[in-house]
Amino acid sequence: MKLKHRIYKLIDISGLQLFDPVARLFFREEPQVQIKRITQFIVIPILAFGLFLLVWQIMAPRHTTKSGEVPKPGRVLDAAKGIWTFHNREKEKSIAFIASSDEANKILDNAKNRLEEIESSLIPAQDETIANLEILEQEWRDKNISPKIKKAANIEYEINSKQNSLKTELEELAGSIKANDKNAKEELVLRLEKLELQKSKWKIELAELKGTISILESKKYPLLERAQRKKDRLEEEKQYLSVYIGILTKNRNSKVEELNKKLVDYSNSFYAAESTKVMSSAKRLVRQKTRIEKTSESQYSAAKTLPYQTLRSLLCVFTGFIIATIFAIPLGILCGLNKTFMCAFTPFIAIFKPVSPIVWLPIGLIVVGGFIPDPENNALLSIINKLPIFSSFDVNPAFLASAITVALCSLWPTLVNTALGVSSIDVDHLNVARVLNLRFRERLISVIIPSALPLIFAGLRISIGVGWMVLIAAELLASSEGIGKFVWDMFNNGSSDSFAQMFVVVFLVGGIGLLLDRIMIVFQRLVSFDETAPSV
Amino acid sequence: MREDRYLNISDVTKSYPNPFGDEIAVVKGFDLTVTKGEVISIIGHSGCGKSTVLNMVAGLIPVSLGGIILESCEVIDPGPDRAVVFQAPCLLPWLTSMENVLLGLRSAYPSLNKTEHEEIAKYCLYQVGLDGSLKKYPREMSGGMQQRVGIARAIALKPKVLLLDEPFGRLDSLTRLELQDVILNILDLQKITTLLVTHDVDEAIYMADRICMMTNGPRAKVGRMLEIKFPRPRDREEILEDPDFYDFRQELLQFLDDCEAEKEKKKESELQLV
Repeated sequence: MKLKHRIYKLIDISGLQLFDPVARLFFREEPQVQIKRITQFIVIPILAFGLFLLVWQIMAPRHTTKSGEVPKPGRVLDAAKGIWTFHNREKEKSIAFIASSDEANKILDNAKNRLEEIESSLIPAQDETIANLEILEQEWRDKNISPKIKKAANIEYEINSKQNSLKTELEELAGSIKANDKNAKEELVLRLEKLELQKSKWKIELAELKGTISILESKKYPLLERAQRKKDRLEEEKQYLSVYIGILTKNRNSKVEELNKKLVDYSNSFYAAESTKVMSSAKRLVRQKTRIEKTSESQYSAAKTLPYQTLRSLLCVFTGFIIATIFAIPLGILCGLNKTFMCAFTPFIAIFKPVSPIVWLPIGLIVVGGFIPDPENNALLSIINKLPIFSSFDVNPAFLASAITVALCSLWPTLVNTALGVSSIDVDHLNVARVLNLRFRERLISVIIPSALPLIFAGLRISIGVGWMVLIAAELLASSEGIGKFVWDMFNNGSSDSFAQMFVVVFLVGGIGLLLDRIMIVFQRLVSFDETAPSV
Repeated sequence: MREDRYLNISDVTKSYPNPFGDEIAVVKGFDLTVTKGEVISIIGHSGCGKSTVLNMVAGLIPVSLGGIILESCEVIDPGPDRAVVFQAPCLLPWLTSMENVLLGLRSAYPSLNKTEHEEIAKYCLYQVGLDGSLKKYPREMSGGMQQRVGIARAIALKPKVLLLDEPFGRLDSLTRLELQDVILNILDLQKITTLLVTHDVDEAIYMADRICMMTNGPRAKVGRMLEIKFPRPRDREEILEDPDFYDFRQELLQFLDDCEAEKEKKKESELQLV
């Protein structure tokens, strides 16, 4: 019995009220009510999403763009997998780069075997499949596509020949008209006009035919397309493996070993050196030593994959969010406590709240640029880059500008809600504070802030949502590393695969936004001392 | 300082402007002198301004005319020397019962340290019978228990005057009887000067040394005073058997009826004027 209620409580606090009916059904508590709730809150949303996927699947191929057709859900899923594989490979590479020689040898064998397998059996097998499919494709084309093309071409030919024959007919007619035959001449003009009208109609018809033909010609045999994609993936893996093997055979340790060997030579020759050569060989020795030091600290410079960019974006949004919170909550409390301050501050809220991030960003970039003229040797940046989490993300001025933009846009909901929360404290509670003669600090900590907390957290929840939305746009414009940059790169890349990857980003950004919102709801629930649940 | 004029409410008026700008006096010329250690019940019809008087003594609302003097000092602001128990418990829902009581202690006894504060709070909660619920939050307690915390919070301040604003108004009758005894015990022990606002006739007689009957508002004032000469500590059954009790009761009810009749008369005459 106790466990049951503990589980319900946990579900309630963790913000997963969605699964409450499932748990209750599991404990056989009013099964009919629970089934109804499950249908309502779980089954129907899933069905709706399924319907959305179906519509997408049907509608996507109908719209062809310069970067290929709009990707179907399957392609998007493939792209997501591709992004993940790429990320894992980059990680493998950086591990390989710093592996000790024993470890390297161990993985090297595996990698070589896999490469061998791909080169000698998988790719040839795939080639064969493709060759077979090409024959099938030809048959399919002959059967399904070619007749249609031929038909269209025939109509085109007919129209052209008809047009030509009418033209020549009229020319002959014109040649045979006598100079004073007025009626015949007028007749000719009429027929010519008619022909022009007909021609413009034919022109449209011909254009349509050409369009159908080109669409028909570009149609691909689905099986062949899939086989080719598979081969592309194999080729990719092959390329990756050869690079991987390259790194393994010549990674940091082996480089250092090589350099150390040379160092021994150098020191031998230094001790044996004549007085004229002592200086130069000493220099060579020292140079070699610094080179070894540098090499032994070097890291593999991995490509910036989407997971990395996502983490960076999250870091950026939290930086901005924390900056916003640091300003918004105290200002909000001041506004709520003091009418005069509120009046003084209202115009700023009214004017700056609606300003778009697109305007803040360039200003932020300029201001940050002004403070940090030389990003390479800046005290602030080097301090930030030494902080625990920031150190692995290479913070630059664009990052700071994006974070400041996020802060400026997400400041307002928290500020307004805090002010509202503080100014709408229960009169009874204020009376208690007055009777107990609490000092300002105690009143603030024990009465004002706790009673405003639920509203403050409601504001924070809106703020982080706004911040996340703003950040992607800010990164895209500032070309600060992050999800926005990834989208921008994909846009400039313009291949059909990058189109699918942009769709992946849509779902990624949406999913993270949802997650952040949920986390804030949980916090909001934890600080709400009354039993009323916040709106979901 | 004279003990028989410990709390002096002299000729107090409280008026609010109505929407047309005329001042409407809720309470007018309210006069009351309270001896040290005395328990006064203020009784009257609802809306007659009983709570207004109490809030003025507490310093929560300013006095329009007249003055309130407590131990030779004029009352201007609220302070811990006049502890209030409100009709609603008014506990802070994010603090435990212990923390709620502790809240006022820090400013009331700045010279004591934290453990001493805790000792006081624990003792006060013990006095109201809550020594088992020190760590409970208000939402985990019944209305009666919450009000007990409210009482503990008030007496913990060692106030010169204890102001009870219909403290049992929202409780069921059984809990009400229990809490009346809780408060009486404390008053017998500590001899705190007390003003109790109520509209329960039996409660007024049982708790008080004197009863202050207020006329109906607007312009409410002290209608009559009634001395209750039951010995303390009091026993409910003994008092209920005492024939005097019924005389007092009859007198009070008669006064309240007269007030009501007067009001009706006034209304009628106003209507006739129209």
